[in-house]
Amino acid sequence: MNRITGFLSKKESLLGVQKGKRRYDLPLDKDKGEFFLKLLIVLMSVLATLAFAAFFTLSAMGERWSSGLENKATIEFPAQDENDQPLQFAAIEEQMEQAAGLLRADPAIETIDIMKKEDIGELVAPWLGENPDMEAMPLPGLISITIKHNAYFDAKSLQASLQTISPRIRVDTHQSWLSSVLRFTGALQFSAVILMLIIGLVMVIAVGGAVQSRIAVHKEEIELLHLIGAADQYITAQFQKHTLLLAVQSALIGLLAGGLLLIVMSWIAGQMDLALLPDFSLSWAQKVMMLFIPALIGGLGMMTARMTVLHALQRMP
Amino acid sequence: MIKFEHVGLRYGIGPEILSDVDLTLEQGSFHFLTGPSGAGKTSLMSLMYLGRKPTRGMITMFGQNIGTLNRNQLAHIRQRIGVVFQDFRLLNHMSAFDNVALPLRIQGKSEKEIQNNVNELLEWVGLGDHKTVLPNTMSGGQQQRIAIARAVITRPRLLLADEPTGNLDDEIGFRLMNLFDQLNRMGTTVVIATHNTQILERFKHSTLILEGGHLKVEGHKNWVRKKLEGVF
Repeated sequence: MNRITGFLSKKESLLGVQKGKRRYDLPLDKDKGEFFLKLLIVLMSVLATLAFAAFFTLSAMGERWSSGLENKATIEFPAQDENDQPLQFAAIEEQMEQAAGLLRADPAIETIDIMKKEDIGELVAPWLGENPDMEAMPLPGLISITIKHNAYFDAKSLQASLQTISPRIRVDTHQSWLSSVLRFTGALQFSAVILMLIIGLVMVIAVGGAVQSRIAVHKEEIELLHLIGAADQYITAQFQKHTLLLAVQSALIGLLAGGLLLIVMSWIAGQMDLALLPDFSLSWAQKVMMLFIPALIGGLGMMTARMTVLHALQRMP
Repeated sequence: MIKFEHVGLRYGIGPEILSDVDLTLEQGSFHFLTGPSGAGKTSLMSLMYLGRKPTRGMITMFGQNIGTLNRNQLAHIRQRIGVVFQDFRLLNHMSAFDNVALPLRIQGKSEKEIQNNVNELLEWVGLGDHKTVLPNTMSGGQQQRIAIARAVITRPRLLLADEPTGNLDDEIGFRLMNLFDQLNRMGTTVVIATHNTQILERFKHSTLILEGGHLKVEGHKNWVRKKLEGVF
């Protein structure tokens, strides 16, 4: 008869749950159907990357427009007189000179920039195509002014004074246009946030469903682990770790694919050379923030797996 | 150490499988559990390894009322129990070594300790050269030996075995009974459900007889007498 010595003579050690295991007690990594969950997470990550980029791009656009027009106003001199008769640009230039005199007298105005015909032609060029006949085209006059910081600027009063030169002269502080554009970009940003929330919700539903089906498939193995002393946390940790790795791997692929898509979109926008298209390039800080997408998706997947498994285990003895 | 008071068990809305089971097993005692097929032996064992909750009555294990314990506390109680299941319940995606090591890993033992103990025990059950083999490629007897090694690897305070010698030849069966005896002499309470009359006659221990869901605690001599009277 053999006698066993070692395992019978050792002292009973403190009971606990093993942490940081390298391997799974449940064959989670061998499950069929995992490919579809991975694919779904990759696609969700691509969408999340695009939504993040859209949010940042819209934010940058709004900021650029706001800061570009801050403390600025434009005095517009229409190319028609009060009887809708076309005005020669020389006549408009004369009006602009008179207006400049009034503007210089206003203590709230810091700088005055009377735009030349060529400058105005450049401004409208994107809408008129290459080499338009500027001489034959009635062009308005424009004076761009900069308002002193913290100074009180009364646009209505200034417009009333300028209309003594010509009743159609208008002072545009860009506020109504800017607020409409900012409202629009804000709505788009809100949509991007909603899209990210939907992506998160889809992730939760998909991971929760996948984990539930795995629990059903491995019910006997889970029961066995329970019967030989595994606590709920021990079993949950296996699902958590597996889901975290799966979600982070898939999200990294999605981030890479989304990033490539953004580069392609940026390149196409650059080729089109249209002033109205947004700039898709992101700052370094924004790029670093994008790297958190896999971490967010991994964390979300892990927490979903944890809650799903803990809930299911409560129904076991 | 283990106390059942008026314990009853039924599955769903069916009849009671176990009725008014009163039982006290002292620390370090050795018991056979026997009775005709369908008498409720496996159900009684499942209550002992906390695989089920009784539908009535109270179970006290290691001085604690099982009904009042939370899930973590129940897990800790289960870590003190070794079980050899009738159908082995081995994990087929794991090697023989990993199956035996599983309870130690759950208890957070070091890999060095796991290596030493598992290798020694696999050698002892005659499967030292089957460490990397998957259970579903083994014979029934080999699987049963793996299941037994897994049950005793943690030196449990309570060892429950449901027909542990069913698929083994006599020699290995008796060797395993001697292992259970060794564990018992070191303080482990052992309960073995068996129909094996050779084992019942050879090892002189208390015999619990289940008949129609009712438990009768009999001494060994009484069991032999009943057997002779043709009760079974």
